[in-house]
Amino acid sequence: MALTLADPDHELTERFRDGDRTAFDLLVRRHQKGMWRLIRRYVKSDADAADVIQLAFVRAFRGLSTFRGTATVRSWLYRIAINCALSWLRDHRREQPTEIAEDALTEVNPAPARLSADDDRAGLRQAIEQLPPKQKLVLELRVFDDLSFKEVAELADCSENTAKVNFHYAVKRLREILGGDHAP
Amino acid sequence: MRRDRPDRDDATERKAELLTAYVDGVAELTPAERHRLAERLARDPRARADQAAVRRLLERLRALPPVGAEPDWEAMERSIHQAVERALPQPWWRSWKWLAPAMTFATAAAVLLVLWSRPPRGLEPAVWPADHLPRDGRPGEDVVALWLDGHEVEVDVSASDMLGDAVPGDADPALVGDDSSTEVDLLPSTDLAWVDDLDEDALDRAEHWLAKTKG
Repeated sequence: MALTLADPDHELTERFRDGDRTAFDLLVRRHQKGMWRLIRRYVKSDADAADVIQLAFVRAFRGLSTFRGTATVRSWLYRIAINCALSWLRDHRREQPTEIAEDALTEVNPAPARLSADDDRAGLRQAIEQLPPKQKLVLELRVFDDLSFKEVAELADCSENTAKVNFHYAVKRLREILGGDHAP
Repeated sequence: MRRDRPDRDDATERKAELLTAYVDGVAELTPAERHRLAERLARDPRARADQAAVRRLLERLRALPPVGAEPDWEAMERSIHQAVERALPQPWWRSWKWLAPAMTFATAAAVLLVLWSRPPRGLEPAVWPADHLPRDGRPGEDVVALWLDGHEVEVDVSASDMLGDAVPGDADPALVGDDSSTEVDLLPSTDLAWVDDLDEDALDRAEHWLAKTKG
């Protein structure tokens, strides 16, 4: 039987429903980092991510009193964040710059070791970008956002088992793309 | 042909899926699944190699720095708080909050308008004697204000019946008095009864002043 834990945010949502607005501030403090990192993977600039996270929390504030608690608060917030990011991308499709590898412009002549590390990171990111959307979503939520498969399934709108299968295929595909020691 | 359809139900793939999930976190598997995988890893070197490769890959992925620069989290928290406050439904009276400064401004403007339109004090009498009003109802230009005996008196210097300056013979004897000169005082010389009311000290001072003046 899979281990299930009580939602640590449940108490805050109850306090919010009772009219305690500071409970929402605590939710913001608790989840803003994760939401920002999630949103930042969709939108390609920090400033845009800051706008989107504000929008996401405003929506969460409006909807929290009607939150039914069938999912965890975290996965509910992350779902709002993903929806806001996708909506923002639709509205600003033509404004999105072509993505440049992280750190590519930070140093003119990076040291060889640093160059190797940067290449390694860039190679990994490029490999992730080649994944099918669902596998990419599941892998990122699991690896970068550290969500349980149950939460990943809620966000990916699939069963928990399907989330695990997608995760497995994402890892397998990455091993194929990267080759070398990772090759299956 | 490579099989990458997630919905494929295959025993081998199922084992591989379990292995990936096992490497990624044993809490995601049931105790029975964990037990089966542990047995397989113990007897299958290839499974162990797969396990190590998956573990290395996931460690590399998790070591990737987050995309973008880390923002100032406190500043972001404040901006989120402000955005939420702005989005809150406002109470009805908040929509009338412009009324107080508008009313203050209107009142100040009205007061300034009234002050600006009023003539300076003293140009027009508060009450104008009806029998001295010109025909058009407004005081004439020859009217002067005199402060006499503690009262303000408007005098029309053009009115000959008051000044008697046209012909000495026409002058009112009561105004001219004993003095036969053509100059007419505004106060009748006979109207000096107030002198009788002066006490001895006042009279002494007056005589002293006159003597000093003449001297």
